[in-house]
Amino acid sequence: MPGDEGWFDRFVNGLQESDVFKRLASLVLVPFWAWRMPVKPLPGGPRPSTQPGDNLQCMMNLIMPLKIKSPIGRAEAAKAIAENKDAIFAGLNNVGTVHFARFVIVGDNICMFSVYDGDFTNYIRDFIATIGGVFNAVVELAEGGEKVIPCECHVEAFIEWVRARDLYQVPDTITDFLRDQEALNGDKAIPGNDDLSLLPRKLILQLRANANVSLGSGYRAYPGFSVAQVRKRLGIGW
Amino acid sequence: MADSSEARRLVDAIIANLPDPTPGLRPVHTIGVGVDGYFMASDVARTYCIAEHFKGQRIKVSVRFSNGIGSPFQHDGWGDVRGMATRFHLPDGTATDLIATTLGEFFVRNVEDFFEFAKVAKLEPYGRRSPWLKIWDMLQLKLPPPRDPYPNETENVNAGALRYANGHRFAQLGVVQAAVIGAPVSYARASYHAVHTFIVTDPNGVRRPVRFSWQPVAGVRNTDTKVVPRDKYLREELEDRLQRWPARFMLMMTIGEAGDALDDPTQPWPAMRNRVVMGTLTLIKVAEDQAADGERISFNPCRLSPGIEASGDPILKARKGAYEVSREMRGGCPFRWS
Repeated sequence: MPGDEGWFDRFVNGLQESDVFKRLASLVLVPFWAWRMPVKPLPGGPRPSTQPGDNLQCMMNLIMPLKIKSPIGRAEAAKAIAENKDAIFAGLNNVGTVHFARFVIVGDNICMFSVYDGDFTNYIRDFIATIGGVFNAVVELAEGGEKVIPCECHVEAFIEWVRARDLYQVPDTITDFLRDQEALNGDKAIPGNDDLSLLPRKLILQLRANANVSLGSGYRAYPGFSVAQVRKRLGIGW
Repeated sequence: MADSSEARRLVDAIIANLPDPTPGLRPVHTIGVGVDGYFMASDVARTYCIAEHFKGQRIKVSVRFSNGIGSPFQHDGWGDVRGMATRFHLPDGTATDLIATTLGEFFVRNVEDFFEFAKVAKLEPYGRRSPWLKIWDMLQLKLPPPRDPYPNETENVNAGALRYANGHRFAQLGVVQAAVIGAPVSYARASYHAVHTFIVTDPNGVRRPVRFSWQPVAGVRNTDTKVVPRDKYLREELEDRLQRWPARFMLMMTIGEAGDALDDPTQPWPAMRNRVVMGTLTLIKVAEDQAADGERISFNPCRLSPGIEASGDPILKARKGAYEVSREMRGGCPFRWS
């Protein structure tokens, strides 16, 4: 209990909270355990579901590393978005299933975060059909982008390209994250030999494999409603 | 009424695992405080449920907040599940109860699971882990290692619960949540979840599966786990808080969909389900007669008014009988069912 420990207890308790240990563990222990117990990256995008509510207000967190990792590369990305604002807005209106969408530069990545209704592949398909030209201007600035432009001519390849850069969405419950790991590893074993005390290490190693993730399914003020329902109920037409 | 022999065995299984079984007291959620208040349904509540307390009039309520541990010794500051049992006193003299806890999901699916859990999760000695073992934990990236015991804590069920969860994946979420649940700074600063699915009927006869949660208007806040926990502060904090200002909770109702776990309290529903604000609970004062309103008052999760039904959840059904058996054993106040 706090307050009656010996000096060694206090030292160890303090050590586990210390930045020194965390930095040292990041340099030594994490690579060691990653070598001992390799962890595959978990795939991005929404998890498959046939339930109606799970296909509304889905998230896309698309992270595209820029080819030119400097202010020049970032400025090119900002310019590409700014020059095509009308095209982007008109295109998103035409897609019709997008609640919110925005472009963000984080570090040397151009990111598109959006909330949409329906199937992921259909969303991307509609998206490039309506603003594919604009997206080409952005994608050509990203690493590996040259392989999939013009995206309207490489639809399936482009969908896969986006999926590979869409962040893994960590489930709302920590134990569902374990189920994702088991599914990825093809774990068909009858449960009975789990070790929940290893949960912290599993999470650390997964976040090493998936350095960027979306945490949980996120907050929604009006979950379960589509773009069309919201606009209809608000009386703002289509 | 549920099978009384099964109900009795359930209560006995709980009592058999108590650190300090005390006849005449609740076997779990022993320490609690009764509070007076009222509930006002939201404008939309009546369109989802025809139950009397959702029609919009002011409904008197009695609430009992509690610590989950089954012991007459008060340990407010320990990490523990907290309870919030609410009785809605309906205008016709009947009542309906809503029993919720800070645990989002339960750890067993049915009565059979519960008996097995009770066998595995026995009280075991709990002491400070050797610093050398903590270092070993840290080298294995088990961060943070198991916590040190609280003051005067010599035994708990943590090790057994972990063993059970390691062998039963359905239990893992509830057990992990319970392990990190902490202690609220106030009973009025925690979210409480009714865990089970209920079926509500709207004015058109449409029946919907739903789950209820109370969300504190004051926000959720736990105590600092690095500080030595205090044993007694929750009741005093609530008295002080309510003397200054009422405490409020929003009643949120999440509507399930086909395919959601309707009869399994170990399974959460996806966060993307539609949720409706059903009303606001306003707590005015700590009840003056704590013997009646804090101790003898007896709740039951299946005391439901027309418009709300229990789902097929076997744990919910079992609680109906177990709560009655427990009430009779401790001499709790009976309350007419309809």
